[in-house]
Amino acid sequence: MTREDQLPRTSMTISALAALILAIVPLPYPLDVLRPDFLVLVVLYWSILAPRTGGLALAFIAGLALDVLHGIVLGQHAFALTLMAAWATQVRLRVRVFSMLHQSLTILAFLAGYQFILFWIDGATGNPVTFLSRWFAPVIGALIWPALAGLLNRLNDR
Amino acid sequence: MVAFRSADNSGRQSGLLLRCILFCLLAIGLMILDKRYDQLSGIRRALSVVVYPLQVAITSPFEAWDWLHESFRSRDALRADKARLEQELRMARFRLQRYEAMETEVRQLQGLRENTTGVAHKFIVGDVMNVDVDAFRARVMVDKGARDGVFVGQAVLDEGGVFGQVARVSELTCEVILISDATHAIPAQVNRNGLRTVVLGSGDPNHLKLPYVSTAADIVKGDLLVTSGLGGVFPAGYPVGTVIEVRRDPAASLAEVDVQPTAALDRSRLLLFIWVDAAK
Repeated sequence: MTREDQLPRTSMTISALAALILAIVPLPYPLDVLRPDFLVLVVLYWSILAPRTGGLALAFIAGLALDVLHGIVLGQHAFALTLMAAWATQVRLRVRVFSMLHQSLTILAFLAGYQFILFWIDGATGNPVTFLSRWFAPVIGALIWPALAGLLNRLNDR
Repeated sequence: MVAFRSADNSGRQSGLLLRCILFCLLAIGLMILDKRYDQLSGIRRALSVVVYPLQVAITSPFEAWDWLHESFRSRDALRADKARLEQELRMARFRLQRYEAMETEVRQLQGLRENTTGVAHKFIVGDVMNVDVDAFRARVMVDKGARDGVFVGQAVLDEGGVFGQVARVSELTCEVILISDATHAIPAQVNRNGLRTVVLGSGDPNHLKLPYVSTAADIVKGDLLVTSGLGGVFPAGYPVGTVIEVRRDPAASLAEVDVQPTAALDRSRLLLFIWVDAAK
């Protein structure tokens, strides 16, 4: 509340970059399937907490970065992430006062929606990934949300 | 309990829908351009260069560790290595003596068969980067790109056999799709009798499928499958896999054949990009 005009741009950039690195750090076989979408979580966090800082542009650029790193079609992740960030921004005032459990469930809905859009575009462009394991990531993401939000709050306070 | 501290004191919500629609349209435009018209390879290359430092930053600690590991190996281990390599080199030289003659022979025979695929005449070695591309797709990132002349559809081998083909090229890196990817198919034939078929990936790096073999086909456990050269992507005659099991159900029209790839799809670090001389 103290920084009415000062937007947490630095912490936003740092957290987004860190999430981007976590998205491509190599993990051994069973773990890589369980890797949560860190960048999506970070974008959702900033959409809920401070939509003016990065806003949808952050979501779009982050999505584009994911597309370049492992997208089949350019624009796929950007599209999904923009939609989910817009949705999160829309309901942010409510989400902020939710209990932690309730928040995690909301995040699960965002992540599942994100994954579903990716799934749909994958199918529409002829590269379907139909493994059931692709739906693990949203659940793991929702589970680590409290820890991640706490960490980002800490980063933001400084 | 994590309570959000509000850094957002704006009531600026009116533009949200507008901006959302704008960005979504932009993304959809990108997707259509990329998928339908293939117009974005330039943009994609440029963007890949932007994220390249990130990929290098991730892969370099692993390389540094390898380097340290190498540097502190004992003298004895290096000596043993040297002796082994010299031995291997001698063997390779022996085999090579006949190579020139055999290559000419192959060309002549291929001329007779009017086969367009020839012998690889040029190759470069690429290093697999320690970067995860996608957990659900069998793809690896390699540190050779358009700058080195790598092109989409190029055949990639490792020392065991066919590894995959180049799926996407950027300036400094490329993405190789493995033959074990669930969407990958490679035309092959049984080395013993020339039976032609298609080898599909299964998603598992140690397992390939051979779905289009009839129960009556002459294929047995231990058969070596080599590329047939049909399709024009892979040159003929490179090993793809060995048959490890054939299950024939008398009631079905197709046999179930399990194949183990000869390339070490989940372990290889060094890959060979080859240029094939169309021997016309």
